[in-house]
Amino acid sequence: MSDDAVAGDRSAAADREAATERAVRESYDRHTTVIARTVVRVVVPIILVTAVGLLLQGHNRPGGGFIGAVLTATAFVLVYVIFGMEYLQDDFLGLRAADGGSHAAVEYYRWLFAAGLALAAGSGMAPLIAGLPFLTQAVLFLHHIPLYGEFELASAFAFDLGVYLTVVGGLLTVLGEVGSE
Amino acid sequence: MTAQVVLAATLGLLFALGTFLVLRRDVVRVVWGVSIISQAANVYLITMGGLSGGAPIGSFGEGAPPTDPLVQALVLTAIVIGFGTTALALVLTYRVYEEHGTIDTHALAEADPDRASADGGTANRAVTATHDGPLDTETTDDRMTHGGDER
Amino acid sequence: MTGQIVIAPMLVALSTAILALLARFDGRVEKAVSLVGAGGYAVAVAALFDAVVLAPGGPTTLTYGVSDWQAPFGIVLVADALSAFMLALAAPVVVAAAVYSVVSVDERGQRLSYHPLFHFMVLGVSGAFLTGDVFNLFVWFEVMLMSSYVLVLFYSGREHTRAALGYVVLNLLASALMLVAIGGLYATTGTLNMADMARRLADPAAYGVAVAPTLGLGALLLSVFAVKAGTVPFHFWVPSAYRAAPAPVTAVLAGVVKKVGVYAVIRLFFTVFGGAAYASTSTFAYVGPVLMLLAGASIILGGVGAAGREDVDGLLAFSSIGQVGFIVLPLGAAMTVPAATTTLAGAETMLAVLGVTAALVYSLTHALAKPLLFLASGTIRSALGTTDFAQLGGLARRTPLLAGGFLLGSLALVGVPPILGFFGKLLVFRTVAEGIAAGMPAGALAAATMLVGAILTIAYVTRGWNQVFWGEPTERVQQLIPVRWGRSRFAGDGDAGSSSIAPDGGPSTVTDRALVVQVAVVVALALGLVGLGVGAEVVVDAATDAAHAATGTDAYVEAVAPVDPGAEYSPSHAAGAANASDGSHSLDASAAVDGGER
Repeated sequence: MSDDAVAGDRSAAADREAATERAVRESYDRHTTVIARTVVRVVVPIILVTAVGLLLQGHNRPGGGFIGAVLTATAFVLVYVIFGMEYLQDDFLGLRAADGGSHAAVEYYRWLFAAGLALAAGSGMAPLIAGLPFLTQAVLFLHHIPLYGEFELASAFAFDLGVYLTVVGGLLTVLGEVGSE
Repeated sequence: MTAQVVLAATLGLLFALGTFLVLRRDVVRVVWGVSIISQAANVYLITMGGLSGGAPIGSFGEGAPPTDPLVQALVLTAIVIGFGTTALALVLTYRVYEEHGTIDTHALAEADPDRASADGGTANRAVTATHDGPLDTETTDDRMTHGGDER
Repeated sequence: MTGQIVIAPMLVALSTAILALLARFDGRVEKAVSLVGAGGYAVAVAALFDAVVLAPGGPTTLTYGVSDWQAPFGIVLVADALSAFMLALAAPVVVAAAVYSVVSVDERGQRLSYHPLFHFMVLGVSGAFLTGDVFNLFVWFEVMLMSSYVLVLFYSGREHTRAALGYVVLNLLASALMLVAIGGLYATTGTLNMADMARRLADPAAYGVAVAPTLGLGALLLSVFAVKAGTVPFHFWVPSAYRAAPAPVTAVLAGVVKKVGVYAVIRLFFTVFGGAAYASTSTFAYVGPVLMLLAGASIILGGVGAAGREDVDGLLAFSSIGQVGFIVLPLGAAMTVPAATTTLAGAETMLAVLGVTAALVYSLTHALAKPLLFLASGTIRSALGTTDFAQLGGLARRTPLLAGGFLLGSLALVGVPPILGFFGKLLVFRTVAEGIAAGMPAGALAAATMLVGAILTIAYVTRGWNQVFWGEPTERVQQLIPVRWGRSRFAGDGDAGSSSIAPDGGPSTVTDRALVVQVAVVVALALGLVGLGVGAEVVVDAATDAAHAATGTDAYVEAVAPVDPGAEYSPSHAAGAANASDGSHSLDASAAVDGGER
């Protein structure tokens, strides 16, 4: 999800200035400074990368799905505050007003939420098939991977990813709904 | 030991502040009071785990014996739950303001249906109102609480 | 493998909630998922009940280590006869409310994720009944409460918003207090596992546990559970929240969620603290009188309040305050008799078993009768748009089936044989009588309170019945239900009136088919009450098993068999206790799979 967002951010680089102008024009009484816009442009990708990093290492180091998701949502809040909601929805997520605008975005977040919940619960129930208790976790170490070396494949990551999607979906739904008030 | 004393004093202060805010007339202050009290409960939990020792995570078996990790896990859970409930309470306050035009509990009490239940028409109005509540706010809160459940 | 049955009710509720969330694109699919899920929940509970209570060789206790962690390091689910009884009490209410919801919740309610929330609430209730960990109990309380906040608040009219705000704020404060109490218990006993805590409290010297702080912390917990159960000093959220919530939600709140508070009192104060003693006096001596006070005040205040209400919903809400008093009273009576307070291992006295049995049978009665009455009231509201006495009357002639159901529910509250309510009341009276015989202090006062409460129950139930169902049909009833329901099959009845009083919302949105289903649910619950009353012996046997499980601390500890982390274990520097607690997936994640025994 956040990877998409980063990709969308890059592809939209060309018409970003125009979009920004439009967002500022369209937003009611929002006047943000050049400094704030520039800083956000630099900071948001960093936040997103950090969030993904926290998510990936969360199963046995400090971090995890929840905190990664909160960081991701923070990146969205920054974009939302500085560039306005229309920019966030139209250019950042690629949802045009013709698709339903705000409503479509919230609908999209909700699916994210439900899918995350299903993933987290599903990862917990998967061990039941093997006759193991709910939420039992396993870990697999892959050795001699080219370039990467040793890689740790933990089933807990699926649960973390589910938590991540749930929290991102939930927070963005709140943001979208309250923001459109 | 001094750390314990400082934390005990902080806890007392936080609980006092929270209680003071909960007793105010302004609903927003009440919500702040509740969230301060629940944060104070979290600090209390951390204090209960003991304050000596190193970080319990990230340094497996290195250096000083780690402090009790269990309370930290509990507090993480409690923070997440508190996050969801505080957000719900704030949006609820917003809805109260939207519907009644005030967040003063005394002014709100005037419009309390329980106090006017002798009036036969109350129930009718209540049923009518069900169908013109602002939909957007409600959807928001509902979603938010879902999040809270699982986080 | 068979161990999975312990977690089955929770998994069914969780899956149903998520599937209902995923099925939100189509209202009918969502309703179907909700119905199937409720049915599956009932099946799972029945299977668990069968495995625990009806096991060959008497009731047993099943444990389940989530994520394959052993107690006390991991979270364990413990299904003993008490948990199974409480789940069996919840299942019929859940099914009835789910069926009722499918026909009564409108489009808008469905868009607000009514069905997923409903099943999340069921998940929270089941988790609270099954968990064997104090902090986990808090988490399941929160899951249950968060869903109930939304269900109470966002389907109600604007007039109820402010009143229901009190419900949210009070419960948030209670949650914070519960957290403080749990933190204190952890610091004092060094564990969160209920069985481990019971073991340490029963033998404080061996584990270096100070018992005195647990008395205060227990009082804190007791007040939190009293909030959930809605007994007197904390009762004020009950009427406003019950009026604000839609009928099926109120049914679950009154029928099941309140019982979670009662269950928590029984589980913690009988099973966990039951073996503890301070200054050679059992903890019972400190808790019992408080429970008696709460119960007595609830019985009187609830009864008087209900007798003075001018609408069905208000009457039922106040009535449930009084009825919870009747549930708590035998618990208090069992705790205050001298035999229980002076004997150190006084938990499993005959009277304690009798008191818990009485509380459980009464809980079951109330769990069936009160949802029945609330659903009947909801049906009246959806047909007539109001439940005010002033506008109702003569409904018995229009809806004999609904009236019959309501009457049976009312009689269950009063306690008329052969309805189950009779046996509930009989056991409560017997507990108090035997308590007096055993020298319970202020026994006469308790008996007098109970009698007054019983008389008040008869008074308000009669008044409600007279106002709503007897007499001549009022103008409103004649207008909206011109002929008897059922006489003209699906024609006429509700639709005839829908155009004339449209603003009421009720008649215009509810179809006749929906009303038929609603009445059917009420009648089914009423038949259940009579059926269980006829077969009361089975119910009382199951409740007695549950009471033995609740008071048998040693058996509970033995069944859970928490590993002893070592006698030198010091709570403030619990270095070794890498716990797989809820939410700390970062901690338990690296647990390698090493073959489950189940």
